[in-house]
Amino acid sequence: MTATVDPEKILRDLRELWSQLGREKETAGGVLRACSMTLIVASQCEGDTDAEADAARRTLGILMHDHPSRAIVIHARAGAELDARVFAECWMPFGRHQQICAEGIQFTVDPASLGAVASLLVPLRVPDLPVVLWCCNAAALGQCASTEGQATRSSAAYESLFPMADKLIFDSGAAADPDAALGFLRQLKSKGVHVADLAWTRLTGWREAIAHLFENGSIPADRIAAVDITHGGDSPASGALYLSAWMKSTLPAARVSLQGSAGEPGLRSVVLWGQGVDCSVSLADGSSVNVRASNRSYLSLLPPVTSDALMREELSILGPDPVFDRVLDSLRGKT
Amino acid sequence: MLIAVTAENPFADPLRYERRVPDCAMVIFGASGDLTKRKLLPALYRLAYERRLQPTFAVLGTSRTPLTDEVFREKMRESVKQFLEDSPFDEDLWQSFARHLHYLPGDMGDSRLYAAIQGKLAEIGQANVLYYLSTQPSYYGPVIDGLGAAGAPQAPPEAWRRIIIEKPFGRDFESARALNARIHPVFPEESVYRIDHYLGKETVQNILAFRFGNGIFEPLWNRRYVNHVLITASESIGVEGRGAYYQEAGALRDMIQNHLLQVMATVAMEPPAVFEPDAVRDERAKLLRSIKVMSSEEVPVNAVAGQYRGFREEPGVNPETQTETYVAATFFIENWRWARVPFYVRSGKKLPRRATDIVIRFRDAPHAVFSDAGREIRPNLLILRIQPEEGISLRFLSKQPGSGMRLRPVSMDFNYGSSFGERSPSAYETLLVDAMMGDATLYTRQDMVEASWRVVQPILDHWSRQKFDFPNYDPGTWGPAASEEMLARQGHRWRNS
Repeated sequence: MTATVDPEKILRDLRELWSQLGREKETAGGVLRACSMTLIVASQCEGDTDAEADAARRTLGILMHDHPSRAIVIHARAGAELDARVFAECWMPFGRHQQICAEGIQFTVDPASLGAVASLLVPLRVPDLPVVLWCCNAAALGQCASTEGQATRSSAAYESLFPMADKLIFDSGAAADPDAALGFLRQLKSKGVHVADLAWTRLTGWREAIAHLFENGSIPADRIAAVDITHGGDSPASGALYLSAWMKSTLPAARVSLQGSAGEPGLRSVVLWGQGVDCSVSLADGSSVNVRASNRSYLSLLPPVTSDALMREELSILGPDPVFDRVLDSLRGKT
Repeated sequence: MLIAVTAENPFADPLRYERRVPDCAMVIFGASGDLTKRKLLPALYRLAYERRLQPTFAVLGTSRTPLTDEVFREKMRESVKQFLEDSPFDEDLWQSFARHLHYLPGDMGDSRLYAAIQGKLAEIGQANVLYYLSTQPSYYGPVIDGLGAAGAPQAPPEAWRRIIIEKPFGRDFESARALNARIHPVFPEESVYRIDHYLGKETVQNILAFRFGNGIFEPLWNRRYVNHVLITASESIGVEGRGAYYQEAGALRDMIQNHLLQVMATVAMEPPAVFEPDAVRDERAKLLRSIKVMSSEEVPVNAVAGQYRGFREEPGVNPETQTETYVAATFFIENWRWARVPFYVRSGKKLPRRATDIVIRFRDAPHAVFSDAGREIRPNLLILRIQPEEGISLRFLSKQPGSGMRLRPVSMDFNYGSSFGERSPSAYETLLVDAMMGDATLYTRQDMVEASWRVVQPILDHWSRQKFDFPNYDPGTWGPAASEEMLARQGHRWRNS
């Protein structure tokens, strides 16, 4: 395996890539090299399609504008022979005359051989810069972490990638068993790893709208006696579990209820009430919420929840994330 | 700097959404003017796009031009679309933002306007109000008086009233003092935000990060290692239809008194004990007070005026005008750190290119080991580029490949855009948010304004008595020869590349 993919050769190919871009500089406006981290993206082919890998590459192309990185894309496909190639992501910033380029390496590998790729990655990380691993495949989390603390064979393969990362990003949003997925994240966190979950990131707009109700002491938080959270579907997805845990950990004296309603999964409304307080945040359409407090009511736009927007938010937090960590901890024994 | 407006908010998550500003209304005087169209509204729209403004944030524009709310909104929509930089225009967001745009026509000398503004603000229902003077400077006094008479500065409990005042703040030292004296009975100093948009530029703020966030540069940042400092703000364009205004101002008032002296203070100030508004402003003010004020005899030696050929033919410009479109000056800072280190500052129009940068020229190595091979030996330069291509370069010597010891200057470059990728907020976005949050770090204080006027006053006085042989430089050149000669007398030269 290592006979076909040699990290030294990949690094030589990267140098050649930059030399080539440098030669093109003479005809174009020039190229600036940029790198702020190593971003490893683990994606997996489902059936015969490369849709997930393609989507990950598209997202990477957008992310590079805000977080130029050495991207390492690991594309797991059943039966694939180990292969690697280098690429550049270039863009022309608005109003500039010079392209900015970031470099990338794409691996194709059989899922069973992920462990072998991990050892190849060690010399390919950019020295002195943070390493972020984005597991955009459910196999890394949702489908495989069926019971807390007992990762299945497939997630165990991904686990070989975990130790080299300063931050691990998952998405429990589509996990078949959200409780198990969150338990798996808690387990990783307990080992001192910075973990993030895009299901939590999707809540930012909702949490922000709720937080603004309490700005400048306009509503005394200690008056809130109860919080009713309504979500679509019979059982709560991880997003609803997170929001409920956030409420409980923020307002320990309040009763927090979580109830399902007909329709697609996702948050529907949050109602907060108590002595002299009755306010709510409820979904208006896919992109905004209605905020009602005292005599005021207004529409608040939700931030986009595309993969690139969510990842952009997570990549801007490379150290501890105290609020998320507190919420994840508070789910212990409740999921 | 994050100001914890939501410090007691149990739902705060500062890593993700801390900096939304408190709910407020902004009253813009001069709402039909260029600054509102080109800078203020695009900045506010962008802040809304970034979700930093509350959904109910309101703007009340006023000027003499009779407009309805609807027409004002449509005009602002066109302006935002035209002048929004680096950002998409989102029609849905605009609709939501524009619902809170209002307009009141009126004469700024008429007390009824201020009563109407108070009435409209009560209708809008915002307790916090930010007034923005974007008018001709001659209206500053009447607007301040009008607001005072209408009781505008009195805020309800827990709310605030603040006022942003655009430059120029006065025409000279005395008029700046008089304006301060007119403002203070109406707005206390802590509510007055004198804007100098240069201080809001990311790269100017980065000077502080560069100097005080790193341990390796500050030990070199003094007279022992620095030979001299060059500060340049050049423009390739002329007055672009602003001839009548510019003729009254000139480059010394328009650029040096405010922007470049503030940049110089940022480069040369002592480290503040903490990064808090008054601590930073105290240090800037101390530095400005330390700049040696020239005697009348020193002005011809240390200051050069220029006017480009063709300025007198610009529309609205007096064919005999003595207004300078170029200034170069040598300043000295009288403190232990910078004693006898010249700070050369220049600004001009119709120069070869648009650029603002600061060049720190270090002293030569004490002993020339490579003197035989050193025909090309050049000094170490640290170049802080404010615009365009914002970044920092360090020039040093390197051995040229091959036999022998031939040295060649090379450059180690940090480029802001490519290193961070993400969009930098415009200076007005930064400064507007700061004012709404009550953070005055990047605004100038009364003592800073007066100190900088004190520095340029002798030059203004001397030049007002002199008849120049203008024009004295051609468009597309680096200004009058006297500017180079001023540096040559010290064995120095401008960096014109």
